[in-house]
Amino acid sequence: MAAVEPTIRRRPLLHSFALSELLRRLRWTERFALAALAFITLLALFGPLLAPHDPKLATGPPFHAPSGAYPFGTDDVGRDLFSAVLYGIQTTWLSALAVIASGVLVGGTVGLVAGSAGGWIDNLLMRITDAFLALPAPILAIAVVAALGPSLTHVLIAVSILWWPYYARLVRAEVRALAVRPHLEAARLAKISWLRRVTRHLLPGAIPVTIVAASLDISNLVIMLAGLSFLGLGAQPPTPELGAMTANGLQYLLEDWWIPVIPGVAVFVLSLVGNLAGDTIRDMVDT
Amino acid sequence: MLSFTLRRLASMIVVLLVLTASLFILQQVSPIDPVRALVGQQADKAVVDAARKRLGYDDPLPVQYFHYVENALRGNLGVSLRTGQPVTSDLASLLPASFELVLFALILAVPLGLTLGIVSAARWRGSGIFRFGLLSFAAIPQFLLGILLILLFFSHLNWLPATGRTSYVNPPTGPTGLLTIDGLLHGEPAVSLDALLHLIMPGLTLALLPAVAVGRVLRGSIIANLRADHVRVARSKGLSEWRVLVRHCLRNSAGPSLAMGGLMLGVVFQALIVVETIFAWPGIGSYVGQSIPKDDFPAIAGVTLLLGAAYVVTNTVVDLLQAAADPRIRS
Repeated sequence: MAAVEPTIRRRPLLHSFALSELLRRLRWTERFALAALAFITLLALFGPLLAPHDPKLATGPPFHAPSGAYPFGTDDVGRDLFSAVLYGIQTTWLSALAVIASGVLVGGTVGLVAGSAGGWIDNLLMRITDAFLALPAPILAIAVVAALGPSLTHVLIAVSILWWPYYARLVRAEVRALAVRPHLEAARLAKISWLRRVTRHLLPGAIPVTIVAASLDISNLVIMLAGLSFLGLGAQPPTPELGAMTANGLQYLLEDWWIPVIPGVAVFVLSLVGNLAGDTIRDMVDT
Repeated sequence: MLSFTLRRLASMIVVLLVLTASLFILQQVSPIDPVRALVGQQADKAVVDAARKRLGYDDPLPVQYFHYVENALRGNLGVSLRTGQPVTSDLASLLPASFELVLFALILAVPLGLTLGIVSAARWRGSGIFRFGLLSFAAIPQFLLGILLILLFFSHLNWLPATGRTSYVNPPTGPTGLLTIDGLLHGEPAVSLDALLHLIMPGLTLALLPAVAVGRVLRGSIIANLRADHVRVARSKGLSEWRVLVRHCLRNSAGPSLAMGGLMLGVVFQALIVVETIFAWPGIGSYVGQSIPKDDFPAIAGVTLLLGAAYVVTNTVVDLLQAAADPRIRS
């Protein structure tokens, strides 16, 4: 007899509400947060096209205060800070998203396998995860990049190596909780294969909690990546990167404040948008 | 409790071994040859090979790892390429300054986090705006906060010093190494006051992020606790709202906040490097900051091992404290 798959409705991503209905129920602050998230992502993708100048070349007078011609001013050699910030936003934002994507992918797979397999596989994978989780990722990242040599690629490798365990724990806990639900028991009794049970019945259930965690994580990563860049571990000059721009402008702080402050404010805006959108998405999924 | 303690200590040792193994692997991966760094880049090949054999760098990797751990336990962390001094003696001379700064930041962060958590959990007019403020504060990168504080309190108001830990050329070097305390012990309160003024801006910069993170966790667990049955009982007995909050809610909410505080230590340690660099604080953070452009891996690895071990041990202590306070965790 062919296995009959129980007809159980997949747990909808946003519980009982359709997406359009949910958007209608949002308060204006929450709509603003989501719009800002979309705006920053678009800006990160296409911002460099809007840059009026080449951020690597001296295209104006040095130490020019913010004005109509140079909205964010120019730096110590006369590079346009507005253009540099647009490029820097691209680097920081896309790096943060890339690290989260890799963390979700690797951690999610480990968590899914551990949670659904159980037994010694679960034990082994979670021991490894816990050992990684107990290490201080922000400091180890510095040592990893220092050993590999400073560059943006190495920063992304270092942070990605250290960022998955959190998602592994999260997904595993969710999968374990789902595995004892009646619909999984039904699926098992119906002789549905392990692989199909995992991909069709366990994985979808773990998605909401992962989306919430990932969106709340953006702000952490933006600040951490900017911190590494500030310490000179990210992309090397003259490639514009927000943290490094602040570090280089530090010596001009007292006379020409905009050189270090404006890139720092850009990091703040990215991180704030991540925080607001993360909070909104959590409220959307949890209610 | 004893078995929980033993299990927790065993896993702490495993994690410390993983930490040393990671640093050992990184040392192998890093392009810096420790032997050449010692005998000089232009040294004869025969000299290099002899030194490699003498120092044990031609042993099999597991043997080398064993020696690495042995050396680390003896306090031998190699020689800094930048200063030419043993990393351990560099760290020993810089550690008190960093310790004082982190301690001061903790002293600021605990009441700040408690206040933020309680105030934002309570329902009052404007609590929505307060929550938004909390979110904004959580988004400020430490280097931005640091330079904004310098612009305001040093450049504009000229209230606080912007760099270093003291204005005195020869401050008293005392038993503790903490200037605020050593000044008092040597009968020079002016030195202590001066050191305190130097601590305020870097301390605040370091304290804000963990304080907000702890405040947010505290807010969440207070709100969850306020819905619990025992709180309804406490209210129906006629206790005041304040007493319910402090006696029946806060204690239950302390665990998660404490755990969050332990985890935030990793962020604080990274921020320590940034903050010390901005405020020219003569501690291990500036030491790393100066080692990075010079590719001084032994120095960076030494600080990573020290801070990493401090992080792992602190989080073990936090877990044990939590288990002591809440028996449900022990299972």
